Amino acid sequence: MNRVMLRSPGFKRLVACLAGSLVLAVMIGPQEGTQADYGYAFRQAVFKPRVFVFLGIGVLMFLLVTYWPRVTPYFTRPGAVALCTGLTTVIAAQFLLRWDDQVGNAKFGAVSRAVSNTSGLSPATTAFFSWLHWVQFLVIAVLAAFAVAQRNRMLAWVTAAFAVVAGGIAFYAHNDVISFSHVADHSFGAFTTLLGYLVVAVGCSAAALSHEQATHARDSIDRVLAWRPGLPIAAVGAAATIIAMTTSAWFSPLRLNASFSSTHDLFAGYGLSPISSQYLAWLGWVLLAVVAITALSSTYLRLRLGGWIAAGLGVVAVLLTVVTLYDISKIGADNNVDAATGPWQNLGSGGWLACMGFGLMAAGGFIAATAARTSTGSASPSTPDTAFVPSESQGGLSLRTASRSSKNLLFVGVVLALFLPPTMTEFWQKVLVSEIGVYVLLAIGLNVVVGWAGLLDLGFIAFYAIGSYTTAYLVGSLPHKPPAWLHMTPLLAIPFAITICIIAGVALGAPTLRLRGDYLAIVTLGFGEIIRITAVNNPGNITNSTRGPSPAVAHPRVHIGPVHITWGLNNLQYWYLLLALIVIVVILFYRLEGSRLGRAWAAIREDEVAAQASGINTPRVKLLAFAIGASTSGLAGVFFASQIGYFNPDNFVLNNSILVVAYVVFGGMGSLPGAMAGAAVLTWLPEFLKDQVPADDRQMWIGALVLLMMIFRPAGLIPARRRKAELGGLGSPPSSETRAVPASEGL
Amino acid sequence: MHYIHQIPAYVLLGLTRGSMYALIALGYTLVYGVLQLLNFAHSEVFMSGAFGSYIVVHAVVGDGKGTPSWAVPLVIVIGLLSGAVTGASVAWTLERVAYRTLRRRGAPKLAFLISAIGASFFLSQLAGKLFNRFRGNGFPKYFDQNRQVLRISTARVQVFEVVIILTAVIMMIFLDRLVAQTKLGRSIRAVAEDAPTAALMGIDIDRTISRTFVIGGALAGAAGFLFGTAFSFSNTVGFDQGTKAFAAAVLGGIGNIRGAMMGGLLLGLVEALVPPIPHIGIQWTDVVAFVVLVMVLIFRPTGLLGERLGRAA
Amino acid sequence: MTAVTVGSEAHESDIVFDVEHVTLRFGGVTSLNDVSLRMYRGEILAIIGPNGAGKTSLFNSLTGVYTPQEGSIMLSGRAGDPPQSVLGKKTHVVNHLGVGRTFQNIRLFPALTALENVQVGIEARQRSGPISAMLGLPWQRREQRESTHFAYQLLGEVGLAPKANELAASLPYGEQRRLEIARALGTNPGVLLLDEPAAGTNPVEKRELAQLIQRVNTDRLVSVLLIEHDMKLVMSVAHRIVVLNFGEKIAEGAPAAIQRDPAVIAAYLGTSAEEAAAQAAAAPDVQLIEGTTEAPLEATPEDTRDDGEVNP
Repeated sequence: MNRVMLRSPGFKRLVACLAGSLVLAVMIGPQEGTQADYGYAFRQAVFKPRVFVFLGIGVLMFLLVTYWPRVTPYFTRPGAVALCTGLTTVIAAQFLLRWDDQVGNAKFGAVSRAVSNTSGLSPATTAFFSWLHWVQFLVIAVLAAFAVAQRNRMLAWVTAAFAVVAGGIAFYAHNDVISFSHVADHSFGAFTTLLGYLVVAVGCSAAALSHEQATHARDSIDRVLAWRPGLPIAAVGAAATIIAMTTSAWFSPLRLNASFSSTHDLFAGYGLSPISSQYLAWLGWVLLAVVAITALSSTYLRLRLGGWIAAGLGVVAVLLTVVTLYDISKIGADNNVDAATGPWQNLGSGGWLACMGFGLMAAGGFIAATAARTSTGSASPSTPDTAFVPSESQGGLSLRTASRSSKNLLFVGVVLALFLPPTMTEFWQKVLVSEIGVYVLLAIGLNVVVGWAGLLDLGFIAFYAIGSYTTAYLVGSLPHKPPAWLHMTPLLAIPFAITICIIAGVALGAPTLRLRGDYLAIVTLGFGEIIRITAVNNPGNITNSTRGPSPAVAHPRVHIGPVHITWGLNNLQYWYLLLALIVIVVILFYRLEGSRLGRAWAAIREDEVAAQASGINTPRVKLLAFAIGASTSGLAGVFFASQIGYFNPDNFVLNNSILVVAYVVFGGMGSLPGAMAGAAVLTWLPEFLKDQVPADDRQMWIGALVLLMMIFRPAGLIPARRRKAELGGLGSPPSSETRAVPASEGL
Repeated sequence: MHYIHQIPAYVLLGLTRGSMYALIALGYTLVYGVLQLLNFAHSEVFMSGAFGSYIVVHAVVGDGKGTPSWAVPLVIVIGLLSGAVTGASVAWTLERVAYRTLRRRGAPKLAFLISAIGASFFLSQLAGKLFNRFRGNGFPKYFDQNRQVLRISTARVQVFEVVIILTAVIMMIFLDRLVAQTKLGRSIRAVAEDAPTAALMGIDIDRTISRTFVIGGALAGAAGFLFGTAFSFSNTVGFDQGTKAFAAAVLGGIGNIRGAMMGGLLLGLVEALVPPIPHIGIQWTDVVAFVVLVMVLIFRPTGLLGERLGRAA
Repeated sequence: MTAVTVGSEAHESDIVFDVEHVTLRFGGVTSLNDVSLRMYRGEILAIIGPNGAGKTSLFNSLTGVYTPQEGSIMLSGRAGDPPQSVLGKKTHVVNHLGVGRTFQNIRLFPALTALENVQVGIEARQRSGPISAMLGLPWQRREQRESTHFAYQLLGEVGLAPKANELAASLPYGEQRRLEIARALGTNPGVLLLDEPAAGTNPVEKRELAQLIQRVNTDRLVSVLLIEHDMKLVMSVAHRIVVLNFGEKIAEGAPAAIQRDPAVIAAYLGTSAEEAAAQAAAAPDVQLIEGTTEAPLEATPEDTRDDGEVNP
């Protein structure tokens, strides 16, 4: 072969793609190496016919990369991005998500096999699970691609209608299966499919309505949201509530899925309180109608007062729904339905979905009520003087100046955080509390140190450990008991834990702040290891070594006046406690980011010498970052200790520290939503992957994902506003590949 | 006085351990020198060297029984070479995939660290899936590693210790000469000193960086073979050794080649000598190591020998 | 220029910087050798000298970045302050004592907006801590309002108010220079140290810069210590000039006198003082500023690298 061809970039790319496909072949599949034969897994993965599939994928990747420039123009067509997102969502729902709680691995394939062996389902259901699902997907995909690429308005509308119908069929078929088997259901497959098809429909309608090009998906989303502020979110809320009232189960003990109306019949004569009884009989429907009409009309007509009314009514509706749910579950428990021990058990997802719907409509009303009136031109003419005087908070750090899409996302997030967890299975509730929630809190804390102040801390988990052990000591779970006057409940331990973590943070920071980036990294790493090893073996056995605190750390209790709350084993309770903590911390930190300290952190991160010359006391500012980060970690530690009860030094290994750094950077360092999203995604992923790949392979996939993320989106999921500039920083054009980092980077 | 009596034995242990640290630390230091980046995935290069050389050695000697003694040095050389080749190729790939792409995009420094961490997780678990996830893999016993060859006071020098220390010394001398005297060494030093100027002088930065990774990878891969010969290894062996080697590199002054060698040996000696002192105990080994590191950094914030790669040679 | 009291009769508190016999060495290299100079309140003092003369080293010694091995530096930053030694003080402490500075190679905070850059300077003197910021306490809000207001005012003074919300990195070169001055002014300095503020700017920007320096000097009553290669700028704004060469002070005086000083001309032309004196005698109209157009006096951005660059 001639050398020119071997050295051509195309050939190199082909080789790289084929090599990548072989790696993929090794990664995918159940084969595992054995100690006796190191080549076994490789042969199973590669010396089999399946390798041709992977080589095909490699060639496909090669073609895609090579001809990418010809594909990209199509992405600027209106609706193209939404179309791709929607179709991907549908595929993901079909292959990855559960469609049922009971059948086999509960993926689509298992359910469809079960359906084909079952008689008595409606023909549409049978057809959907046997062939209709892929036929409708293919038809819609082809039609939509054609409509968007050719900008055929007629076809686009038809496809949009098709997509809505297809989503409806999927949803109906799933409901049919569930009501046939009479079991509680926590699966997301059908919901996600419906969502995917709706996104496709939105994409198609966008293609039909608009002839503008939108290079950025975010721009087009912003444009949609700006058309009638609050309308999209209110419409989604209305749809969710209608689904909740009509099809979802409200009360679902074993072998029963009572919908909204049948719940009323079910509880007739059991002494339901009047409000709940009226709610189930007619008030619910009236509320739905009234809230939906006020929310939709006031958002559409941009009525401020109407918006406020819709928001108020929505909140009232949420409260009434919650009261009703409490009542019916309480009666269920009193009558010992399905061995219920207390309220809030045996509830279906319907009630919570209704809460979400009402909540979203309220949010829509609120957005409409507070939306800026700039478009109407009623803003006061700005004099030169007032033009220069900005609002108190700058730089998109407050709710008022936040972009529309992030404002909407914020409300969606709050509503989901409040009402989604009750519909989850116990497994996911546990994951939500003890993995996702705790690590989100840790990531928020580390973001202060790494993201804002630019100090690389690889021993962050140490403060988490200190917080946990402080709590264990104060509640009397360690071999050495505290004096009686210091013995307290876990929540009271929070200030003590925070204080001790601040002291520890300063103690670590003070001697090491002279060190730069990587030196600091290894010292903090060493600190984390020292703390962990000290927890394992220390003179006098203060920490009870590897056994960890015993007896178990007490659960939190609150007794203030009439309020008596005791946390027990129910993860949901902890979730709301954690949510409250996270919300408080996030609000405080948002203020901090916009304050002089936040700017001082950014300054020392960007250029320490210039920061000093501008009068910033850099050691103090860095110490504050350490202390504030550490205190957050300590807070997380208190929560962790009191929630989990038993823990031991293995909970605080070095690996966890490194993971938290990875979460923060993956999400987008320096950005609070980014750090939270990064932690949430990367802690959710291992649990999600349990369904998808062999358990031992999960870390491999996560590693690969992190690697790819950094390659293709080095600024993270949600890049920080103050960090964006850095990619093409001052005086160092992005083309200069010689130094990876501008010298100004404080790390 | 039992402790003092045992000191020679501890020194020997420290030198063995320190040689391993030094070999791995050189990879951290070389990459840090040219890129000012901490190559977190370097520990997995070391791990892959152990597996790669295992496969080759296993293919050559089978289960090791009946290997004639004249062939043993040959097998060791083959093992070293195969480990080095594996390490070098993994390091090369790593640079292409996890570093060069990010460099092209001008990513922030932490993005490199995280991509390296991702690569580290990926490589370690991929090796687990591909080979096995057992804790105790060991090389075929083609020679008696524990045979005593020499006795200095209480120190019983065993074969594997001779092999490790000797090989490490040879490779370090080789590297030192390479960086000091060859054209490649000069370009590495030039890039480390001032990459933009080096580029203006006609040095191909990308190629130099790539070769730096290859050199570091070869050293770590060979270290992987040595480690596997003496101890049992697994797909997660890289993490602990890598962390210590990174600490050693920092101790000596990261980016400084002789510093890495010195830091590695020093760390090994400290770990071997301090914990057995009465009232300390070996469970504090890691604590002692990190406390020494912190102490050194507090008094010399850029490590024992300072941090310039160019100045070292 | 007449407003400035020059000479030994000046009152002690009118001396901003009193540098006496300062010697600064890096290893074997002597960067400053027995330099003494006085800067008086209200004046614009320029320090000139060929590359490597030790100008930036002097700046770094004055701001606490370097600590000279010998000599003393006394500072009375704002009017009425008692003189204090700068030696051994941290940079931010020196800043708090009333010394603002800019850098030879611009050192803004690239990822912050122009407004935020100035705010950083202003807020370094504020009191409110993290807790009051997190709780949004009234005095913290008041301080924040003040800082925003003052920052806008300063941005207006340097003509950057319309660009307040743009990232510093996205501003053109000349505007970055001015933003740096605004940031330094934000720290409410009594004396402003400008390190080659005109480097890399075009003639129009240079003229604006000269006006800005004079405005700062007269309106804000800030003394200005200026390092600059551009002789036109120096001659037009400076009240006095100190000339450094090879770390030693070779001349000091009014611009007109400096222009004719044989030692200075020699330093710039690379000849001995005698030859230069002879030349000057032979052609009495030779003046530095005319001679500069061909001579290496006109600084280009490339040759503004000085020896004493701060290495963080």
